[in-house]
Amino acid sequence: MAEERITDIGPPNYEQFLPPVIKKNYGKWDHHEILKPGVMVHVAESGDKLFTVRCGTPRLLAITSIRKFADIADKYCDGHLRWTSRNNVEFLLTDESKIEALIAEVEEYGFPIGGMGNCISNIVHTQGWVHCHSAASDASGTVKAVMDELMPHFQNMELPAKLRVAYACCLNMCGAVHCSDIAILGVHTRAPVIEHDDLPKMCEIPTLVASCPTGAIRPATVDGVQSVEIVDEQCMFCGNCYTVCPAVKINNAQTDGISIWVGGKVSNARVAPKFSKLAIPFIPNNPPRWPEVVDAVVKIINVYAENARKHERMGEWIDRIGWPKFFELTDIEFTKYHIDDFKHAGETYMRTAQLRH
Amino acid sequence: MADVTIDQVADAMFELVSSMKGKRDLKPMDVSKQMMEKFGDDVDKKMCKKALRQLIDSGRLTYKYAGGSYVTLPEA
Amino acid sequence: MTEMKYKTPLLDELEKGPWPSFVKEMKKEAHRPMVQDAIGQLERSYEEHISHWKHGGLVGVMGYGGGVIGRYSDLPEEFPEVAAFHTHRVNQPSAWFYTSEALRTLCDIWERHGSGLTNMHGSTGDIVFLGSTTEEIEPLFADLTKHGFDLGGSGSNMRTPSCCVGPARCEWACYDTLDACYNITQEFQDELHRPFFPYKYKFKFAGCPNDCVASIARSDCSVMGTWKDEIQVNQAAVLDYAKTVDIDAEICDLCPTRCVEWDGKTLEIDNSNCVKCMHCINVMPKALKPGKERGATILIGGKAPIIGGALLCSVFVPFLEMDKDSDYEDLKELTEAIWDLWGEHGKLRERVGEFIQRVGMSNFLEEIGLDPVPEMVMAPRSNPYIFFDDEIFE
Ligand code: HEM
Ligand code: HEM
Ligand code: SF4
Ligand code: SF4
Ligand code: SF4
Ligand code: SF4
Repeated sequence: MAEERITDIGPPNYEQFLPPVIKKNYGKWDHHEILKPGVMVHVAESGDKLFTVRCGTPRLLAITSIRKFADIADKYCDGHLRWTSRNNVEFLLTDESKIEALIAEVEEYGFPIGGMGNCISNIVHTQGWVHCHSAASDASGTVKAVMDELMPHFQNMELPAKLRVAYACCLNMCGAVHCSDIAILGVHTRAPVIEHDDLPKMCEIPTLVASCPTGAIRPATVDGVQSVEIVDEQCMFCGNCYTVCPAVKINNAQTDGISIWVGGKVSNARVAPKFSKLAIPFIPNNPPRWPEVVDAVVKIINVYAENARKHERMGEWIDRIGWPKFFELTDIEFTKYHIDDFKHAGETYMRTAQLRH
Repeated sequence: MADVTIDQVADAMFELVSSMKGKRDLKPMDVSKQMMEKFGDDVDKKMCKKALRQLIDSGRLTYKYAGGSYVTLPEA
Repeated sequence: MTEMKYKTPLLDELEKGPWPSFVKEMKKEAHRPMVQDAIGQLERSYEEHISHWKHGGLVGVMGYGGGVIGRYSDLPEEFPEVAAFHTHRVNQPSAWFYTSEALRTLCDIWERHGSGLTNMHGSTGDIVFLGSTTEEIEPLFADLTKHGFDLGGSGSNMRTPSCCVGPARCEWACYDTLDACYNITQEFQDELHRPFFPYKYKFKFAGCPNDCVASIARSDCSVMGTWKDEIQVNQAAVLDYAKTVDIDAEICDLCPTRCVEWDGKTLEIDNSNCVKCMHCINVMPKALKPGKERGATILIGGKAPIIGGALLCSVFVPFLEMDKDSDYEDLKELTEAIWDLWGEHGKLRERVGEFIQRVGMSNFLEEIGLDPVPEMVMAPRSNPYIFFDDEIFE
């Protein structure tokens, strides 16, 4: 080989990317204040100030846009910026007088400022039809449609508490959305359909059998060809088999759709972290704008905003008023699908007569 | 105690993976466990890791992802 | 604007509206034929309500078992430019700090080898490059490493660790999340690139219990900053807040252990009963701060539903010092002990949280060599089927 192959160097050391004001005041920040939606200041013990301007993105970014962000950072921030865990960009400045011009330029380029304080920040999401094989719905499209409606909540801070929305396009939940105030989750509802003619040509049967987490796949001879069969009752629609073998079709245009879950959180503030619980089991896919999903999310948020007390996250509010009231206020139908029937289902049954009548 | 070299372990690993071709895919840990059984105290996990790395780096074996990671022969 | 190869009336709908549009982003790179076909295929998915990607093949860079995810079109005749359109995970710098120069370097590299489409960032934390041909995998990797970047994890290995903004810009960070994340990532490069585990293993580093990186839900090992001594109180600043905050209602009543009292003049905290939930500090950031004796709680075993159901991490070590100078020896030792045990006895595709439930927390602790402490459980057992052994007589 002409050139020595370089491996195992790991990521670049973050220190070279920190702005001087951070290097100087690293670990010595005194307090922070949100100055207005999307703009905050951190004040160091030394008195130095660092201003942060937060901007929402669609997560899927063209390098053209990233270069534009780099140009903006050069113009206003001495080239310093970072991304957040929720796919927002944060411009980092020391010169307060440049903030308004920075905001104007970012907004002019089509990206909104906000996502701070008691608001709805960006929707953490996954690949969907843009780039994943087992997607039961599209991530970017649903997120875009929902955020178009929720935009005012991104740009102001008038909710009772933070409200985190997350989206995953199948049960694998690459974004681990299961602890969000509102989780939008793509669901397959039928076991995969097997194309027995193609299967032996495309796939190794032992690997396919081993791929199923629940052991639902068995070798079988179908119409004289060596193939597999799937025990429908054991399938929980994860799509793992399709990952291994494209002849086992998990995706189904008629029966794939979206479910909505509510009341989860990850922070430890006040009450312990919680899982999101099922609100709506199934909404058919309706691209390009998924109006039924958007309406359901907006409705839940509006009811929450009207009824929750200050500092109460979605899950804390529901715990206070009780689930029957939640379903009543939101006009969501409670069905048999809402009652858990997996391993530890019994833990979710109501074993007290303390009810609201 | 007979000294076992990394090359010997690597060869034994290669043989094992070849013999399982089409039957069952093996995880890196499965391969290592079988080597430790085969060679007994002469071989530990560190040696197995080294042998495996040699096989992968030289292209004799390759990783494959099928819901979990496996080692397998490269595609022809 | 580049002329579009396909008519995309459905996707065009998603260019409207105030939120930034991913369709516009895709079109910004449409001067590349592969992006044209990606757009065309996506429109087809919108028409037919179904994905047209499939997985498969053995793709990756020589020697690594992860970092590249094979992605193929299931309509290669119609959309030949995306017949192969692989994902690359590039390990991000700690806390996602960049300079404009570093970003341009990344953009230039991706421009040379792929679609020009990215995710900033993927859910594990990596920079995600969306879509290259198989031929470009090795040249892209060489280009990345030449410029100081490396691939992240995928498959049954340690996944790319990530961390919150921590001491770089947050007064509540109880340890150096950026340094810890970088240190652990470098220490375990072998485990990151060469799958040797039953399944994936994720680290996330959060500086305090606000957990801005969702470590408790999204990692197998959550390192969550906390403190032991008293919350630092600036009484004058509390008085200032009293003008705008109803301290009784918004702080005292919402404290989970009701350990805060306010008489209109001074705020009293019974620190022995504070469970470090962060609520009071969050509401009055100028007046309150975490204590000075700082470290982290180590929690283990969080995961999404596949396979045995979703789990949150549970407490493993209530308090661990996270001194930079110690090189995180304790955390590393603990991690290797867990990997050894789970690596040897874990079943295929069994995350460590599921493994602990299967073998039992007590057995797990015994093997690792940790003593059981009451902080590890919500409550002692109520179930009387105790499997006694001889130890009870000692
Ligand atoms: C010094 C103050 C704080 C700083 C610097 C900070 C920083 C951050 C950042 C940068 C993010 C990613 C946000 C985004 O992308 O929009 C985030 C997310 C988050 N923060 Fe904070 N935060 C602070 C205070 C809080 C408070 C007061 C809470 C809780 C009451 C909190 C809980 C969270 C949670 C739960 C997330 C979301 C994690 C996720 O779902 O991915 N943080 N924080
Ligand atoms: C066994 C079933 C699973 C399969 C077959 C699977 C498959 C995939 C695939 C193919 C991608 C890449 C999508 C792309 O970029 O083209 C992906 C991404 C990802 N997966 Fe999974 N996955 C599985 C389980 C999980 C689980 C349980 C988690 C989390 C706990 C997870 C976390 C992730 C993350 C964080 C990403 C990056 C996604 C993003 O940023 O959009 N995966 N997965
Ligand atoms: S959540 Fe499912 S469909 Fe979506 S990117 Fe992850 S594996 Fe693919
Ligand atoms: S979708 Fe998942 S559970 Fe169903 S058969 Fe395939 S691998 Fe098994
Ligand atoms: S987790 Fe805590 S220390 Fe880290 S950024 Fe969030 S609030 Fe700050
Ligand atoms: S941090 Fe939480 S538990 Fe501790 S005093 Fe404040 S509100 Fe109470």
